[in-house]
Amino acid sequence: MNAMLKTITVKAEVSRFNPETDEKAHFETFEVTGIENMRVLDVIRSIYEHQAPDLAYQFACRIGRCGTCAVKVNGVPVLACQETCKPEMRIEPLTPFPVLRDLVIDRTEVEERYANLALVPHRDHEHEGQPEAVAPDLAHEICRLDSCLACMVCVSACPAVEERAFDGPAFMLKLRQLAIHPADNMDRLSQAKEGGLVECFGCDLCTQLCPADLSPAQAIRDFRNDLLFGR
Amino acid sequence: MNGPELSTQDYDVVIAGSGAAGMRAAIAAHDAGARVVVLAKGPPRANHTRMSGGRYNAVSGLNPNDSTDAFYKDTLESGTWINNHALTRILADEAMDRAYDLEAYGLTWDRSEITKYSLSMTGGGSFVRTLGSADEGIGITEVMLHQLHVRGIEIKAFHMLVDAVQDADGRVTGALVFDLARGSWRFLTCRALVLATGGTSQLYETSSGPTVNTGDGIGIAMRTGAEVVDIEFMQFIPISFVYPPSIKGYTLTEPAHYGPRHYDPKADAAHLLNNKGERFVLKHDPVRREGSTRDVLARAIMLEILEGRGTPEGGVLMVPDPKVFESFLRERPIYVKRLLENYGEAQARLEAPIQVMPSALYTLGGVRIDNWCRTSVPGLYAGGEVAGGVHGANRLGGSSMPDIQVFGRRAGMAAAEDARQAPGATKAAFERARERAAALDGYLGRSDGVRPIEVKKQVQKLMWDDVGLVRSGPKLVEAIRIFRQLRSEVLPRLKVTSRTRVVNREWMEALELENMLDVGQAMATAALERKETRGAHYRTDFPEIDPNWAINLLVWREGSEMRVERRDVQTLDTPDKTNARVLAEAR
Repeated sequence: MNAMLKTITVKAEVSRFNPETDEKAHFETFEVTGIENMRVLDVIRSIYEHQAPDLAYQFACRIGRCGTCAVKVNGVPVLACQETCKPEMRIEPLTPFPVLRDLVIDRTEVEERYANLALVPHRDHEHEGQPEAVAPDLAHEICRLDSCLACMVCVSACPAVEERAFDGPAFMLKLRQLAIHPADNMDRLSQAKEGGLVECFGCDLCTQLCPADLSPAQAIRDFRNDLLFGR
Repeated sequence: MNGPELSTQDYDVVIAGSGAAGMRAAIAAHDAGARVVVLAKGPPRANHTRMSGGRYNAVSGLNPNDSTDAFYKDTLESGTWINNHALTRILADEAMDRAYDLEAYGLTWDRSEITKYSLSMTGGGSFVRTLGSADEGIGITEVMLHQLHVRGIEIKAFHMLVDAVQDADGRVTGALVFDLARGSWRFLTCRALVLATGGTSQLYETSSGPTVNTGDGIGIAMRTGAEVVDIEFMQFIPISFVYPPSIKGYTLTEPAHYGPRHYDPKADAAHLLNNKGERFVLKHDPVRREGSTRDVLARAIMLEILEGRGTPEGGVLMVPDPKVFESFLRERPIYVKRLLENYGEAQARLEAPIQVMPSALYTLGGVRIDNWCRTSVPGLYAGGEVAGGVHGANRLGGSSMPDIQVFGRRAGMAAAEDARQAPGATKAAFERARERAAALDGYLGRSDGVRPIEVKKQVQKLMWDDVGLVRSGPKLVEAIRIFRQLRSEVLPRLKVTSRTRVVNREWMEALELENMLDVGQAMATAALERKETRGAHYRTDFPEIDPNWAINLLVWREGSEMRVERRDVQTLDTPDKTNARVLAEAR
């Protein structure tokens, strides 16, 4: 490869937990050498390939699109495939979700929550089989919100989720996507309220950490604006 | 008999794969009244559609010069006329209706006016016809997943289809499934099984697809005796990232490469230069130049790299047009970000040359299907990338998205219809499934042997070097010899280090490897048989296209051997006889 690329040796403490044998998780430490800007996923894959054949981890696309490799690195939720490695890292499964084993979480409940929100346009009339009337800018905005990876990084980071009855930023963002869809006639604001819209602290952490560069915080502000002043 | 517990559940239609083809099949089968389950090898969002740029060829009527006939002809032209013409015709005729379905599901196509979609050019096409949406494959999979949710369609995450289980008469009546999250076996009885497991990009060292695409459905179909077609044609995307290693092989979207040609068929695409500063594509296609088809460009780039005229990092240089930056940023912000993170700001602004290399993208061949996605085995259906025939020897950019919608829907409809009359599984099928599960459970007990990841890497290197972009008779013979050896000597010696049943990656890789070896050998076998150069298939010992080879190759398994047979191209006048051989044998 490029002779210009520098290498680095990182120390990674990886959370290990096997429900068949362990009561609680413990950390195992590994050292991995690779190019300086390798990603956390590269470190995890290297550990599996060369040091811990029994390591359980999840990834699929390696390019920040499937959203399935999310973990916590030094306490911060990130996508493993997008996060540049640190010299010293503590890698843990994403909280607050049930852990299947090691770094792999069970997203069954997350998916059920999505399903309960019925996140499809509820239409007065069937789609007519010709381009639907949507202003270009609005279409673009719907697309932007529809780029949410459902990775749960924001939900994991959200302090309100931890302390209060709040579903989390990702769900607010998806509800907003439907709220601005011109063909949707469901009361998304009520759904957002039921999901804990008013519980958000407004800390903006979700937006700062979103791997898709979206702003769940803005979606929440827009809903709150609707709540106060109507649409 | 002893062996692992095998829990059973009954469905009308079992669908393996959670990409767009699988989800579209599920929607269609469910809406036709069938009891449906979708199997995802990982989390449902871990699929190839998700990674696509989402560009969608369809004749919308917005370009008055375009027509479904022109789309049909472009697709045949690109496929060198060995496509299954009937499937190609269906693609051209139904693509737009399926695009409207997606809009009904909640996708909003990019627009120039309130009711006017933005259209653009795409690789190999002759008209401005391609739709797109800024949320790309992410958006397509999201709106479809939520459609499954509102229908209450069951999705089993971390469930890998291991085998299609047949009854004594050869009909598929069940699915042997491994629950990776729990390490337990399931036998899902069904009246129809739809394969929508995607392609084979993970057989190659450098690939753009997701890690789940290990050719499972093709391997599974071949074990039932089903035929595969055009399996020698593997599409490589010419323009992908070269470094860093984590994203090597990931596709760089076409708009960066196309520049002004994105909207104007007469404009030049971004020039490609070797390390001597030469526009090497001119040697290969002086007419279309860098606007040539993907097969020509990928091969031209690979030859420069192999012959030592690449960059030190192993690519060539693409010189983009900075004038398209603004529209690129607006339409494809994700790619600007990727360029910025991995290459630097000047490259992200399209102001500096960008290093590119080819990468395994799309499996053009696959399980042979008829117009309704029936394979040559009763009860077994295939749709999307796992199936072959729609695109022939090469595929237009922007045509996989309509393919997986059009044929995903057809597979689901036909499977649901079949499920009304088909018999359920018998005791014999259950016993067969249990025996197979017991054998595969044996991986866990073995203490010495070879780790699956080592064999997987060996296969990936072998396919890249010998069954990749540049092929020759001796290399293919050697590849087949190695595949035979791996199957007979190494596969029985695979070991799974950990005894844990829960999320055991090595165990999954062992199961995948069986498919990878079958599919790799089938690809090499067909590639050796086709003694010419055509579309994505390039032979250095037969470097010209040969009109006598305007035929298809069918491959199927007989025991551990691969049989290959020539077959005339199916035109619109040929009767549809996909089931003929297997039905005749069953009688």
